[in-house]
Amino acid sequence: MNIRVARVEDLMAMQAANLQNLPENYVMKFWIYHAMTWPQISFVAEDEKGRVVGYVLAKIEEPGEEGSEEVHGHVNSISVLRTYRRLGLAKRLMLLSQEAMAEIYGAKFVSLHVRESNKAAIGLYRDTLGFEVAKVEKKYYGDGEDAFSMRLNLKHTGKGKV
Amino acid sequence: MSKVAGIPPKRALPSKEAGLFKEVLTLYETRQLKKGLKTADFILKKFPEHGETMCMKGLILAHMGRREEGINMVKKGVRFDLTSHICWHVFGLIQKGEKNYEEALKSYMQALKFDKENMNILRDSAQLQTQLRLFENLVETRYTLLRLRPNLRQNWVALSVAHYLNGNVTEAKKVLEHYEKTLKNVPDNDVEHSECLLYYVKLMEESGEPQEALDFLDNNRRAILDKTAISEIRARLLTKLKSDAAESAWSALFKRNAECSDYYSEYLEFRGLSLEGNSPEALAVLQTLADAHPRANAPKRLSLSVSTGETFTQLAEPYLVRGLERGVPSLFADLKSLYKDDTKKDAIEKLLESALERFKKDSAPEGSTEPTTYLWTLYFLAQHHSYLGRQKQALSILDQAIEHTPTLPDLHLFRARILKRAGDYLGAATSTNDARTLDGQDRFLNTKCGKYLLRAGMIEEASSVFGLFTKKDAASPGADLEEMQSLLYILEEGHAHELNGKPNLALKKYFATKKIFDEIEDDQYDFHGYNLRKFTITIYLKMLKWEDTLFSHPAYVKAAISASRILVSVHDDPSIVTALSAIAPLTDAEKKAKKKAKKAAAAAKPTDDKKGGAANEDKGLDIPVTKDEDSDGLKLLGCSDPLERAFQLLRPIINVAPSNLQVWLALYDVQIRRKKLLQAAAALHHAKQLSPESPGLHLRIVDLKHRASKLPQAPPAPIGPVFSEAVAKLDPGSIAPATFNSQYLQLHASDPEAIFACAQALHAIESPLDEVENAVFTLLADPVALDTKMARSVLRFLTSIKSTRAEEFRAACDKKFELSTLFKTPEELATLRKKVLNPKDAPLTGSKEAKKEEVTP
Repeated sequence: MNIRVARVEDLMAMQAANLQNLPENYVMKFWIYHAMTWPQISFVAEDEKGRVVGYVLAKIEEPGEEGSEEVHGHVNSISVLRTYRRLGLAKRLMLLSQEAMAEIYGAKFVSLHVRESNKAAIGLYRDTLGFEVAKVEKKYYGDGEDAFSMRLNLKHTGKGKV
Repeated sequence: MSKVAGIPPKRALPSKEAGLFKEVLTLYETRQLKKGLKTADFILKKFPEHGETMCMKGLILAHMGRREEGINMVKKGVRFDLTSHICWHVFGLIQKGEKNYEEALKSYMQALKFDKENMNILRDSAQLQTQLRLFENLVETRYTLLRLRPNLRQNWVALSVAHYLNGNVTEAKKVLEHYEKTLKNVPDNDVEHSECLLYYVKLMEESGEPQEALDFLDNNRRAILDKTAISEIRARLLTKLKSDAAESAWSALFKRNAECSDYYSEYLEFRGLSLEGNSPEALAVLQTLADAHPRANAPKRLSLSVSTGETFTQLAEPYLVRGLERGVPSLFADLKSLYKDDTKKDAIEKLLESALERFKKDSAPEGSTEPTTYLWTLYFLAQHHSYLGRQKQALSILDQAIEHTPTLPDLHLFRARILKRAGDYLGAATSTNDARTLDGQDRFLNTKCGKYLLRAGMIEEASSVFGLFTKKDAASPGADLEEMQSLLYILEEGHAHELNGKPNLALKKYFATKKIFDEIEDDQYDFHGYNLRKFTITIYLKMLKWEDTLFSHPAYVKAAISASRILVSVHDDPSIVTALSAIAPLTDAEKKAKKKAKKAAAAAKPTDDKKGGAANEDKGLDIPVTKDEDSDGLKLLGCSDPLERAFQLLRPIINVAPSNLQVWLALYDVQIRRKKLLQAAAALHHAKQLSPESPGLHLRIVDLKHRASKLPQAPPAPIGPVFSEAVAKLDPGSIAPATFNSQYLQLHASDPEAIFACAQALHAIESPLDEVENAVFTLLADPVALDTKMARSVLRFLTSIKSTRAEEFRAACDKKFELSTLFKTPEELATLRKKVLNPKDAPLTGSKEAKKEEVTP
């Protein structure tokens, strides 16, 4: 397995993995936009043949955006192909992204949305990574399901260190 | 917009109207479209031939969705005032919206003639020049912009980037250095500055100054915020310089991320070692790293790649057992590349079998192992056997596993894979559906099921399965997937249509693929300006490179070759189109889809037609999606210029995927029919360099020789002699096509692909049908290892040449590949298909016992 920062050449494979795995999808321009704006905080896991089997797509929100007073990271989308689960890939991808958010952008916390019914993902965020539910967003998803808006404070020791 | 001295009388307006015109410009810029339109009309009432006002009015109309009317108005306006920069600018904007970048740039250049220092036009021109890769001109434009606004940071960086793109790294670096000198009081933690410095490092690296780059990195440790980038560049530069300091640079990287296999291979390279082949030295290095990073998987796994014999077994055992105990579904995929070494493959098989025995005992109620460990061991073993071609064994093991735990979707997914490998596409679809129904929330399972249904040719069923996850307000599940740019869906459905004998619908999907790639190519446009403002330069440069090779993407290549094949076949036999047009009976689902699409179109209409009204809404300048006037693709299939279209599809690939044999072969097929003799021969020369003995190439050389011999007269000079020479080079012996063909066949007498190519070649040189048929039927004899996929192509070939023995071949294949569903009669298939999604009342696919018997190893 090769876990590393996402490159431009990965974007189509990330988009394909997203479309194959999750109900919330985006056209290529959205993926390109993230890479062009925050090139250091999205990551992929690829198998030996160089196929993307997992990814995290992240962005930075500046103070004032999304009603927050602090600069913070936000995880737009993360997924690992079903056939590549139980390797701890999602956790690794999240940790690398969080570290880059804090180090490069001085992000104070990281936020994400998760379907209320997605027990496995909530388990990862809460139990493994230490996220907490900040609030419930009613009918956040297209199909009417509620979202947990979760948050994790990124601890800074000195400048730029997690 | 600036004033030009000596306004031509036709353009001059009295002060009242001149003021109004300025107002129109402001209203347009703030997108107060309705007001803008009214004001423009007011001016035109008095001055109906005022070009600039007409152009502005046209532009506003286009933005309001009255596109055609607006464009006509703009064109008229330009004619009334050919020396106005406003008119040309507006015209350029319209052309840009049509993605007609070449023409847009021409209009901008006209506009600049009359207003040389217009910042907006200059900036837009720079973007167009980048899009069109006109880098020399880009440098000029960027230079002008910098000269006009030297205080703008961005303009310096933009000029540097232009030089870089134009291939002048030295100048790019110089400009950036100049810029850096002017920087004062850069705040701490400035990401833009940090990115800019990394661009500078890249320039130093590419100028062949690794030491300077390193020093710069070290001196700017505070300002460069991307620590991963610093570490990676340092490690690579120090490695390049063969410096001892590389050691600690690499170890810093491993500390950051011990799961990046790139780091391991590059580090080993630094140590003069490699991950290829068995090497005790490499193993020692990897073991040290494994000790230093005890929780990392990568060094453990890579150790297996370089170790051998007893050591391998000792390392493989704990690796395997740990994976099985954790229930890692990808364990086999992770290890299968080791199988190229037979001794490793055997060692793994041995380890597995003993593990299976142990887990089986331990998984008994009083045992110490989790029952799932036993399950995952069975799963691994089934994958192991299937990979080695032992489908029967694989299936029986997997069925044990399913009996043990019927609710694990992964088992059903793999069952599907085994059946697919055996050619049972319908059974495979059933198994994916079993997996899907076990976890309806999982889109991965849903996608697999839809894909397998398409492989089985069940397009309507696939659509309803996909529809469980697509947007409900889309015209159809497929429409949503297309809008979301799902290449997987489009290609699979295109292929399914081909299988079902609907080249028209297949062709539509392949052209839809082209459209997606065109969109992605267009996507870069906005970033030519955006990234410069954000100072994310290094990623931007990589993006441009990636866009340059976009059309080498396997999905595009596949679509282009498939479409080209269809178009060539229609050129050769136009009756394909008439036959399809004659029948084309709609299935129920097709009727339903048509109705639905009509309804959706009707629902969408009123908003389009809302002329005037409250139409302040900005619809932009991009061409709106138009109604599909050719829903069954018959117009496309029956187009008057199939070869030209095929060529246009293949053309973007040629330079970016020069090592793809199939592309050259497809190109030959098109060029020879376009009577481009030299280009056709050149395509085969490229193919020959890649794979001189390829059956596909052989077929085309015979075809070319035959066509050359049939030319009514030699082409005139200079083409004639060059062409003859080119043909002679492909076949230095210059033998007759028929002899050439039989010689090739003798050399490759047991290779199914070669035999098939020779049979096709016989057809190409107009041999009698029975000769072609006899050649084809030798494919069924021992020891020719014909597989299902090839057999399917052969059957299609026989049908296409109207062989009376096609049915005989089909029946023989049906018997030969007993499990396969590829050679069923349409009636048999119809019955089988009905049962795929209702396995309970399907004795054929439901009974796993019966199935086991049918599998051939």
